[in-house]
Amino acid sequence: MNKFFKRMVKQTEFYVFLIIVVLSLVIQVRSGLFFANNNIVDLLRSMIVPSMYAICALLAFVSTGPDVSFPLIAALSSYLALIVTNNLGLEDTSWFITFIIGIFFGCIMGALNGFIIVRYNFPSLIVTLGTSSLFSGILLGAFEAERMNLPKNLAAFGKASLITVKNAKSGLGSTLPMTFLLMIALYIIAYLVLNKTMVGRGVYAVGGDEVSAERAGFNVKGIRFGIFVVNGGIAAIAGLSYAVMSMRYLPTEYAGGEMIVIAAIILGGTRMTGGIGTLKGCLLGTLLLTMVSNSLILLGISVYWQKVFIGAIIIIGTAVSAVQSHAGRKAKTRLKKETA
Amino acid sequence: MVDYLRRPGEKERHGDTMENDNILCVKGIKKSFGGVHALRGVDLTIKRGETHCLAGENGCGKSTIIKVISGFYKPDEGMIEVDGKEYPVMTPGSAIKEGIQVIYQDFSIFPNLTVIENLAFNQVLANKKKLVNKKEFRRIAKEAVKKINFDVDLDALVETLPVADKQLIAISRALLDNAKLIIMDEPTTALTKKEIDRLFEIITNLKENGVTILFVSHKLDEVFEISDSITILRNGENVISCPTKEMTEEKFAYYMTGRHFDAQVKKEVNEESRGNVVLEARNLAALGFEGVSFELHQGEILGITGQLGSGRTELSMALCGLLKPTAGQIFVEGKEVHIRNVSEAQKLGIALVPEDRLTEGLFLPQSIIKNITVSRLDQLANKFGILSDKKVEEESAQWVKEIGVVTKNHEFPVQTLSGGNQQKVVLARGLANHPKVLILNGPTVGVDIGAKYDIHRLLRDLAAEGMAIIVVSDDAAEVVTTCDRALVMQAGQVTGKLSAQDLSADVLTAQATVQEGGIIDE
Amino acid sequence: MRKMNSNIKRLLIILVVFVVIACATRPSEFIKIGNFQTMAKQLSEYGLMAIGVGICMISGGIDLSTVYIANLCGILAGLMMQSGGSIPLAILVALIVGIICGSFNGFLVSYLRIPAMLATLGTYQLFMGIAIIASKGSTVSGIPAEYTSFATTALFGYIPLSFVVFLLLVVVVTFIMSKTKFGTRVYLVGTNEKAARFAGIHGNAVLIRTYMLSGIMSAVAGLLSLARINSAKADFGSSYTMQCILIAVLGGVNPNGGFGTIPGIAIAVVILQMMSSYLNMFPGISNYYRDLIWGAALIGVLIMNFVLDRRRTQRLSKIS
Repeated sequence: MNKFFKRMVKQTEFYVFLIIVVLSLVIQVRSGLFFANNNIVDLLRSMIVPSMYAICALLAFVSTGPDVSFPLIAALSSYLALIVTNNLGLEDTSWFITFIIGIFFGCIMGALNGFIIVRYNFPSLIVTLGTSSLFSGILLGAFEAERMNLPKNLAAFGKASLITVKNAKSGLGSTLPMTFLLMIALYIIAYLVLNKTMVGRGVYAVGGDEVSAERAGFNVKGIRFGIFVVNGGIAAIAGLSYAVMSMRYLPTEYAGGEMIVIAAIILGGTRMTGGIGTLKGCLLGTLLLTMVSNSLILLGISVYWQKVFIGAIIIIGTAVSAVQSHAGRKAKTRLKKETA
Repeated sequence: MVDYLRRPGEKERHGDTMENDNILCVKGIKKSFGGVHALRGVDLTIKRGETHCLAGENGCGKSTIIKVISGFYKPDEGMIEVDGKEYPVMTPGSAIKEGIQVIYQDFSIFPNLTVIENLAFNQVLANKKKLVNKKEFRRIAKEAVKKINFDVDLDALVETLPVADKQLIAISRALLDNAKLIIMDEPTTALTKKEIDRLFEIITNLKENGVTILFVSHKLDEVFEISDSITILRNGENVISCPTKEMTEEKFAYYMTGRHFDAQVKKEVNEESRGNVVLEARNLAALGFEGVSFELHQGEILGITGQLGSGRTELSMALCGLLKPTAGQIFVEGKEVHIRNVSEAQKLGIALVPEDRLTEGLFLPQSIIKNITVSRLDQLANKFGILSDKKVEEESAQWVKEIGVVTKNHEFPVQTLSGGNQQKVVLARGLANHPKVLILNGPTVGVDIGAKYDIHRLLRDLAAEGMAIIVVSDDAAEVVTTCDRALVMQAGQVTGKLSAQDLSADVLTAQATVQEGGIIDE
Repeated sequence: MRKMNSNIKRLLIILVVFVVIACATRPSEFIKIGNFQTMAKQLSEYGLMAIGVGICMISGGIDLSTVYIANLCGILAGLMMQSGGSIPLAILVALIVGIICGSFNGFLVSYLRIPAMLATLGTYQLFMGIAIIASKGSTVSGIPAEYTSFATTALFGYIPLSFVVFLLLVVVVTFIMSKTKFGTRVYLVGTNEKAARFAGIHGNAVLIRTYMLSGIMSAVAGLLSLARINSAKADFGSSYTMQCILIAVLGGVNPNGGFGTIPGIAIAVVILQMMSSYLNMFPGISNYYRDLIWGAALIGVLIMNFVLDRRRTQRLSKIS
């Protein structure tokens, strides 16, 4: 039990958790509104899409490097899913079908990323910047996508709610949509794959040491390629979820979401150099940043100051992480000396 | 004894008995990479249960032949026979099935995963298992460490463990698959003396259990200590294969380089010819060492030796501004100085040739010119900071010639040079500012014996011209041949001093003295 | 320049080919003074930012905050001018703010060792936040005519002043990067930071100066934008960040650091601006196609550079 405790304290995720607890208590004390049921539901609702994106970012960072194309894959695959649903008259089928179509397109786009990155070994940041631009051009240029209403099946899915709460005091209500279940499902699947299958461990192995992974017998190229394909699929789910929650499709609302997601997973303990990062870290980091974005107003801090706060948190968080990894390196040299 | 130097062209005959005694027999292996001939027809025969050493300079083909044996490279020509069975095509999978395991210099480990995972993955993957079974993993891991009595926290992340433990993980893992032949590629590079001893104990143990070991090394003392037979390669060809007891040190050096030279560069041991004290340390301490005091005179070469972790590297870093001293004083030409960074050290006339040229010394994709002149930018620029291309190129060309860097064009990236030439570039850079004190850390690591000789001779020439030199090295032979005096360090302290007389005794005695830690001063 | 980089040669060829195609297919619209003037004015702004990002990449990092430094400087200068303050003072303030922002970036990357991508991700939020607070979330406008006339003035009546500023800065930065010891040190730090320290280079000082230079570029870009658009906004041009990185890579900057030239970036900017304006001449093709082409071009250039560099190294290894 002691060993478990010691190990937990060393993890970044533990400290992020503490910060979240402290922050929520502070907000609760100042405004009395934090733990109100509608606020919690709002918070969870705001977390849904970024958390899904966070899985994409995690998989990419742990094994290869930054992937910034997932918002645009989300946008384009959602668009294509909607178009196909409408044109093939699938509005009367289950929402699930539309999602499958979206996932299909998302995987194809992810495969493009995977192919270029694996075949030529280019830095993933630059390649995904390029493909991001490419997908944007296809969506807004070639397809001239515009705002669209949702087909019947998605509209119905969007209206259905998981939990509806009403705050007795303020009279404000809030609903938690069904897409929350999608997010939970994704995390459960991701957890199972990453921790209970060899392919999942392979993701970490490849990120830890590519050459060793190859020698051990992992299919390094296959795993990397697969990750980007999967990312495409997850992005598609996130994209359609976003459309469902907004009750319409807005092609221009997707771009720009990648940076905050990346900041969130780094805060949650994912290392930029690869090999290290957990799903719970993703959730904690996303929760923290969402709290800052949504709940600062409850502290009476004007909306204008939000970005300053977020920026400050990112800078402080990454500075701490950078200092920690340097302290770790110094400790290793000391260790060497002691065993001499 | 098979001696390819004496009788070129004549091949060894198979006796009937040989086939059963040999665990590995490769013949006539040829391998080229885009026009570069790495192996020109190499033979290697390893007897069952022996510890066989494969030696040779950098670039002789040692790594390539290992990769061919373990199936990573397909030879262009040649025959591979394992345990009597011929393999027209060897794949990594079949090599592992035959019990051939390679332990590379980087150990092939995953720093971000636990010891258990590092130990278990190879086997789990080989068995084509798709799911994670933690109990099974732990069982495999426990089995692995038991084989060599390795006591380690199985749940620890490998990156938190010291280098020696990482190597033992690699060895345990290799043994899991009932390895018959374990190939170790330069296994002692990153180990302290104690760890090397432990490794050799393990090797002896393995031998008693019938495991054959192929040990790649260029370290003379290790080769003679641990191996039963030796094969030496040069330029992708066999030079000689013989039992260790038939080999002598002079023959070894000769076979490695093809040159006879009076193994040591002659030293003039003359205490009176020493100049003034140019560098002095008094009770110097920093992270990694403490209580170090010495005086360095003009024209003398001081050796600082000790195994990894002795503090010798940290001492060299503290002397040139890379590490901040926590106590003690440094005096340059009698005046106390506080060196805050390398640039200040350079201004005081202290230059460093770092230990790891690939990561600390060179800008690999940049030109040779840039690499040589990097420390001279202030001097080569005018008062506005503008560089004169002409001056830069002239200076670089001059050094290339003087130090003898072999290259067609000094505008080429430095990564196109051989290891020895790369080291010469780093050396040239250190000398470019005409330092009073030149500190070299591991000056001939990974350098072929020819270039090693050149560098040693250069150092003695520089000393003769009045430069004060410190050679930090764990290579006892190097210390003996180049240095006038030496300090021996252990666990961060100076534990022994060797005088000029100690070092001018015959080579073997001097080396033993160095290895035993020198004679403690009063 | 005695030796012309093969990469620059390649870019010039692409430029010439493109101009020929454009002149041949849309002569009446393309070959117009007005067209060139518009192109010149637009490219000056993001061209400067691309150069800023480019030098940060050469030093082994990246600058994701460049657009927001530009916006912040524009907003602050605009606010000063709006309330009747002296124009030269406003310009000076903008430049100083650019220096401060850049230096802050440099400090985070060098002394605190935060990976550049993350550090500038944080600072971009921070700078945008400060800009929002300063501008109270709205657009700063009402810039006096004496200033905005800068945007409409042209040297000799033909060459827009903003383009002149761009060219001047290209020359200055090219000189700094290729002919000074500072420039050489930036390349070396970008190649191997550890070796740079061992060789006596003050890595931290070099990095701070590098990001400071990028900050100045952003400030000037912000000032040019203020003059041209007669307003400044905290979130203007958020898509420019990606464009600047694309331009830098297209211009030959190696994303891993240590290599790249300023003239290369400048030519890449010209090519892209021409392509952009050319597309505008086809009313059927929307502007968004630009993104498509740029994305495809980036990947195409990466692959081309990869193949060509590999051949070159193979050739050289055989010789030496």
